[in-house]
Formats: sequence, structure tokens, C-alpha cells
Amino acid sequence: MRKLLLATAMALVAAQMAQAEGELQLFNWGNYTSPELLAKFEAETGIKVTVTDYDSNDTALAKIEAGGHGFDLVVPSANYIPIFRDKGLIAELDLSRLANHGNIAPEWQDVDWDPGRKFSVPWQWGSTGIAVNTSVYKGDVNTSSVFLEVPEELKGKINVVPEMNDIVNLAIFYVGGDACTEDTEVLKKARDVLLAAKPDWIAMDYGATERLSNNDWAASVNWNGSTMRARLANPDVVYGYPKEGYPLFMDSVAILSDAKNVDEAYKFIDFIMVPENAAMISAFARYANGIAGSDAFMPEDMKTAPEVVTPEEHKAAGRFLPTCSARAQEYLTAIWTELQK
Amino acid sequence: MARRAAAIADLPGFAAVAGAAFVVLYLPIATLAVYSFNAGDSIALWQGFSLRWYEAAWANTAVQDATIRSLVVASLAALISTVVATAAALGTTRTRAYRGQTGVYMLINQPLMVPEIVTAVALMIFFATIKKATGYMGLGYLVLAHSAFCIPFAYLPIRARLEGMDLMLETAAADLYADRWQTFRRVTLPLLAPGIAAGAMLAFVISLDDVIITEFVKSAGQDTLPTYMLGQMRRQLTPEVNAISTALLALTVVLLTAFFLLNRKRG
Repeated sequence: MRKLLLATAMALVAAQMAQAEGELQLFNWGNYTSPELLAKFEAETGIKVTVTDYDSNDTALAKIEAGGHGFDLVVPSANYIPIFRDKGLIAELDLSRLANHGNIAPEWQDVDWDPGRKFSVPWQWGSTGIAVNTSVYKGDVNTSSVFLEVPEELKGKINVVPEMNDIVNLAIFYVGGDACTEDTEVLKKARDVLLAAKPDWIAMDYGATERLSNNDWAASVNWNGSTMRARLANPDVVYGYPKEGYPLFMDSVAILSDAKNVDEAYKFIDFIMVPENAAMISAFARYANGIAGSDAFMPEDMKTAPEVVTPEEHKAAGRFLPTCSARAQEYLTAIWTELQK
Repeated sequence: MARRAAAIADLPGFAAVAGAAFVVLYLPIATLAVYSFNAGDSIALWQGFSLRWYEAAWANTAVQDATIRSLVVASLAALISTVVATAAALGTTRTRAYRGQTGVYMLINQPLMVPEIVTAVALMIFFATIKKATGYMGLGYLVLAHSAFCIPFAYLPIRARLEGMDLMLETAAADLYADRWQTFRRVTLPLLAPGIAAGAMLAFVISLDDVIITEFVKSAGQDTLPTYMLGQMRRQLTPEVNAISTALLALTVVLLTAFFLLNRKRG
């Protein structure tokens, strides 16, 4: 009994100390942070997390580079992590303070954009593939030819999301090139394929979740999480992983070099690497998280979703888009501009 | 002038074209409002009537905080910009013409002419320097920025009102030995009040709607309703955004109606 009392008293003191612990400023994509996750973190540590939204990597980068922002943590995409790092905007992590660092799934431990995960830990990841309504088109969906050499059934019914890096690189993969290539022969082929296919597209627009759900579009180049939501509303929708190569994306959390609440920031990123907590992130925004063992805590409809759990045979074709050289970026933009005309 | 307007209205097809224009302008907004009452999760697939998204938005603390922040910033910005705009309007209409008056006029209306993104980036860089030097990161920057771009919106109705007012009344007050302050306090200000109220409301609405400048100027934890909604767009849109937009729209409509009624009274 005395032991119990003592334990309770200690827990109370600990809780009170935690209460005084303070705050944390998270700068994240809008609608991307689970409120339940933040409530749980506050209950455990007493740290109140305030989320501020951004809607593009460039906005986040611009604001942080200008300084005087007051943020502690930021969640850039893979190809922006090296930019943040090389500009000295994010701090190298002291791995000895992150007990759960080993929970990062093996395939996300040593990534190109952050070898050894010294600067960032996974938040969520996904892929860009092709969503197809199988009641309209019954052929192979695991190929970029669905939108680059549009089959008869889908002509005038397929949408392409207006994301330059995703679309131009899908075309480059399709003609056998590598992301960020500077090989003009490959780039010309990619451009010709895109320009030839464009007349068969119905639109280049966002909002695929909705318009696949209500049969406005029969197919769309689309993200995996969005396609899962479309399938839940419309069971005919399937997600194809182009075998010629498809882009992967991952957003990762990093501590800013000028963060004020550094201790709190370490606690938070250690907290989100606990499998149960990582699953809460996924349950909210509907993308996979990159933490080993989190599958067990995932919502039922995500555990088996073929859009979230990449089937083994399609894994090899997924590729991360590196940070392109200025020259390669110019080529990408030139092709994209021509495609917009 | 009146005759020309009448002639346009008499042209064949005027009603049809005007009707079509109104449909194009307002149908999307009507759709948005309708889907805010959707029972389902979709913004394009109708699944029955419900107020659940209004409840969800109401219970969402992020929305609450952003709404309060928006209203605080808009009220302060409207107050500051209206005071400045009133002084500016008096200074550009109740004085003898002076050199550089056109220049002053252009300076006041500069936010109307410079693309917003230019102002936004410039303010971000400028304020970041001050934030780093002083360590203060409060709402003050947003209020200042909003006040600045709201000035021309408050200025224009006030100036229009001043120009339309009968100068004889002010001259008469001066003839009766009222000093300048008394003339202003007893004659000019009461006559000007509808213009000031209209300017203040316009400034309030403009501040409430602003996205770009707010997005660039805001510090940690300073999302306003529009920047919060911008953040939602990128991920999944639910009718919650429609519900927030509809509520915001309703507020704007109320204010604009009040603005219109006040303006009409001036005749």
C-alpha cells in the first residue's frame, strides 16, 4: 500500500513537472497532423503542440529561410530535405536522444536524401500511380501506357494530376530514362509521348478522389492514399503501380536549426517513432508511415489496402525523385510548359 | 449618362446575358453552400441532408482558434486602417491643391496596384529582420500588414463621401466662428460617418478574406481561417471546408449588405 501511495505521489509529481514542460511549434502540411496524436502527446508529456499549416515545400522553405518564424519542427518532402540541410536550416539529430530511432523500418533507415537518417525521421510516405475504374477498362493497370498511350475505352475519360515532377518523370521512366536525367534524347522522347497523349486526356486537374468516386472520370494519374478513399466510395476503382517506374514520396520531420524548444522537439520525434503513435498518424491522413511494427495498430481498412500496402511484385518499380540539378530542372520545366499550352 | 445606361438595358438579350452572368458567378457558390449540408464525406456526391459538418467545424479547435484570430486581426486592422484612411481622405480633399498630391494619392492606393505576392514576400523579409532583432513574434505583424493593405479600401468610400459633401456647410460653420476642430467634430464628422462606417466594413471584409499576405507574414501558431483552409485543400477536402466557407460567406454577405444600406442612405 505504501509503495502504491509512493508511486502515485511520484506519478503526480511527474505529471505536474510534465505540465510545466511547455510548448512545441510544428510547421506541417495542412490536414496532415492527427489531433488525437497531439492530445496523446500532451497527456504523456505535458507539452502542448501548436500546428501551423503550409501548402507547399517552397512556402515552408521561404518562410524558414527568411527567419524569425518561431517554428521548431518542419516536415519537408524527400527532395527538399537536402535543400534544407545544405542551407543549414535543419539541425543534425543527436541520435543518442532518440531511443526509438531503431524503429524506423529497414528500408527507410538509409535513404538517399538523408543517409543514416541523421537529419530527419519518417512522417508519411506514398506513391503516384494510376487509378482506374475497372468497369470501364479491363486491361492491365500496372503500366504508364494507361495514360501515355491511352486505350480506346479510356480516351477522353482519363485525368492527369497537374504535378510537374510526378508526370514528367513518369514519362521519362516510361521511355526508359532516369529521374532528373539530362540526356536530351530521352527527354525528347518523353516530351513527344506526353504531347501525343494529351489530346486523349479529359483534364489536368486535382480532385481525383471525388471525381473517381462519382464516375466523372474513369481513370486518373493519382496518389495512393487518395485512390484508397476513392475505392472505399466506389469499389470499381483499382490502383495501378506502373511497372516502367513510378515516383515515391516521403515527408520527414526535422528539427530546425533555430528551434527554441529543442528538448520538446526531441521528445516529439521520439514519440512519433513508437509504432502505435505512428499508426495514429496514418489513420488520420491515410498514408503509410515508415515505422516498423506499426501495421498491427493500423485501422482495419488500411491493413489490407492494396494502395497502402504495396504488393511485393510492384515494390521494385517505385523510385524516389532526387533533388534535380538546375539544368535537369530547367528541362523538366520546359517540357511541362510545352505540355500546358 | 442615365440615358446611355437605359439604352444598354433595352438591347435585345440584355436580360438573358445578365441572367447568364449571374448564374456563372453564383452557381459555384450555391453548390458550395449546398454541399456544406451533405451527410456524406464527399464534396461532390450528395448523400442526404445533415448539419454534421457544421458541428464538426464548430467542435474543431483548430477552426475555432483560427476564426477568433481572423476576427481579432480583422477588427484591429479595420480600426487602424479606417483612422489612417480618414485622415488621409481629409488631407487629400480638404486642402488646397499642393505639389505631389497625385503622388500621395498613388502612394495611398499602392496596395491596389502592386501584385499581392510582391507585397507578401517583401513584408515577409522585412518583418523577419525585425522578428530576429526584437524576438517579438506576436500578432502585431499581421495586424500591421493587414492595416496597410486595407487602407485604400477604407480610403476610397471615405474620400468619395467627402467629395460629395456640400462644402457650404463647413464654410457656414466657419462663418459662425466655429474653430477648425469644432467644424470637424460637429459638421464634417457626422456627415462623413456613413462613409467611415462603409470604409471600416470594407476593410474588415478585405482583411478577413486575405490569404497570400497572411500566409507569408504569419509566425508559428498564427493560422487565420483562410490560411487554415488553404492548408486543407492540398489533402482531402471534406464538406467541413464547405461549412466553414459558407459561414464565412454569410458573415461577408451580412457586412456587404450593411455597407450597401449605409451607402444608399447618403443620397
